[in-house]
Amino acid sequence: MTSRRILVETKNLSKDPPPGISATPDEDNCRYFHVIMAGPKGSPYEGGLFKLELFLPENYPLCPPSVRFLTKIYHPNIDKLGRICLDILKDQWSPALQIRTVLLSIQALLSAPNPDDPLANDVANMWKNDEEEAISVAKSWTRRYAVMDS
Amino acid sequence: MNTEGDVDSDMECSDNECFGDDSDYYNTDDIDIEQVDPSKNDPEYFEFECLTEEQVERLLNESVELLSNNLQILPSLAKVLLHYHNWNVSEIIGKYRENASQLLINSRVKPSSAPASNNCSRYLTCPVCVLTHSSDKFLSLNCGHLFCKGCWTIHFEVQINQGISTGISCMARECEVLVPEDFVLKLVLQPNIKEKYLQYIFQDYVKSHPQLRFCPGPNCQVVIKSQDTKAKRATCSKCKSIFCFKCGIDYHAPTDCHTIQKWLTKCADDSETANYISAHTKDCPKCHICIEKNGGCNHMQCYNCKYDFCWMCLGDWKAHGSEYYECSRYKENPNIAHESVHAQAREALKKYLHYYERWENHLKSLKLEKETFDKLKTRINQKVMSGRGTWIDWQYLFTAASLLAKCRYTLQYTYPYAYYMDTGPRKELFEYQQAQLEAEIENLSWKIERAETTDRGDLENQMDIAEKRRTTLLKDFLDV
Ligand SMILES: [Zn+2]
Ligand SMILES: [Zn+2]
Ligand SMILES: [Zn+2]
Ligand SMILES: [Zn+2]
Ligand SMILES: [Zn+2]
Ligand SMILES: [Zn+2]
Repeated sequence: MTSRRILVETKNLSKDPPPGISATPDEDNCRYFHVIMAGPKGSPYEGGLFKLELFLPENYPLCPPSVRFLTKIYHPNIDKLGRICLDILKDQWSPALQIRTVLLSIQALLSAPNPDDPLANDVANMWKNDEEEAISVAKSWTRRYAVMDS
Repeated sequence: MNTEGDVDSDMECSDNECFGDDSDYYNTDDIDIEQVDPSKNDPEYFEFECLTEEQVERLLNESVELLSNNLQILPSLAKVLLHYHNWNVSEIIGKYRENASQLLINSRVKPSSAPASNNCSRYLTCPVCVLTHSSDKFLSLNCGHLFCKGCWTIHFEVQINQGISTGISCMARECEVLVPEDFVLKLVLQPNIKEKYLQYIFQDYVKSHPQLRFCPGPNCQVVIKSQDTKAKRATCSKCKSIFCFKCGIDYHAPTDCHTIQKWLTKCADDSETANYISAHTKDCPKCHICIEKNGGCNHMQCYNCKYDFCWMCLGDWKAHGSEYYECSRYKENPNIAHESVHAQAREALKKYLHYYERWENHLKSLKLEKETFDKLKTRINQKVMSGRGTWIDWQYLFTAASLLAKCRYTLQYTYPYAYYMDTGPRKELFEYQQAQLEAEIENLSWKIERAETTDRGDLENQMDIAEKRRTTLLKDFLDV
């Protein structure tokens, strides 16, 4: 039953991709997606292109997808391993949500970091104590890791 | 019930106190017991029952029936309401009469906004599996969010496998409506998952019921029930676990639930620092020979020079007599406020170690005394086998040993209590009583270790004194 849902979502993602996001299924595994997300305008990640992986578990959509940043990113809700602290990826997941809504929520998280619900404590502390410095570190990481050399 | 022997000895009284025959004697006795409020004499008095799973089911079902009859609602909805309101039937009925709709929204039975409207077409597409089925394959809760039965089933299986039961909610985004028991049971067909669900939901119900507690004993299914939800000592009739009814951990009088939690966390955090003191050997303060502690009693006698000393403070045992037993009391530095931060930290550690060392030491004594007692049992067994007395003759020793354990257990839990007390007359009184209790316990322990040569009357007298000290302290300081 899940295969039809995955099929429909995959088709919609390629036909009508969410702005600034591309998600392509792996050639060998239709549950694994290669995601590229552009840093949102006005955020310290602007100008960067971030790679993510998204995997749909066997019970998808009754279980949430697993998503992880592959590109290094300086963000209070994303840890060193690229794991993301986002409620809809955990207990607030609903089978009515989709890959599209998940990716849009992650994009929104880049625009609005939440240092009060941190995953990376050192980053969150920096964000709370010296936001200006935190933003400048995030910008420099974006330049260093997320800007493809032309 | 009295044995005949006991009755005979009790009947040795003057004529005006005695009653004509035995039945009158028993009757009066019973009335006397009823008239005395046992909670007045025994600060640890606690009325509770040990229930089986079936008895608990019956008890819960009585509330469910009462509520569903009273409000004319389905039993499964009544369960959602009861779980949400900690099984307080009258509170639910009151709120229902006041504002039924608000009660149902707050309890997550009804959605907070108007239910989703559904078109009545013959075919529908399920938003989860995106498959189209005939509309009779769809179900919704009070919120009207329709999903196909297959998706509901998998949703329940996924949730149950994560240990969720009463908390399973509708699949729609941001919909808070909870799924009642009968809805789940209708759709979950795999017997092992159904079994798990029933088990989890039962656990949730017991946990939300203020009068019920699971026995914390390993693999024990017993549920303890009491009207009195205080921090009292409950004993499981099946596995004999002794625990605090309020917080469910090891019983901890006279310390309260919050303080013991704080103390145990502190001990766990500071275990490294406290480790060095947990040695089993110390040097004799007089001849400096190395002495190993292998009994529970803290009254030590050097095997070399026969010096009597205290294991805790290494002071002369004679000074530990019935007068003020200084050993248990921590002497605070009166000028500490004027000392450097470093000195204050050192003092704080010293104070903690003083209490920790005694806490830890009595815990060890409890274990060692258990070993002593096991050895004693073996020796008594040999005596009985060789015809020197019967088990009944030696019964008083077993009673003495279990009383010693009970007293030492309370003594152990007086240390966290004292650690968190403010200095002042109340603490002085506490430490005075603690010292008295400690002295009598060590006397009792000394006598039990030498039980076969101690006079029985002397031992029984010592038991009585120790228990009196224990109840005195609890009466004055156990605040539940
Ligand atoms: Zn479906
Ligand atoms: Zn709903
Ligand atoms: Zn038990
Ligand atoms: Zn407690
Ligand atoms: Zn000696
Ligand atoms: Zn001492």
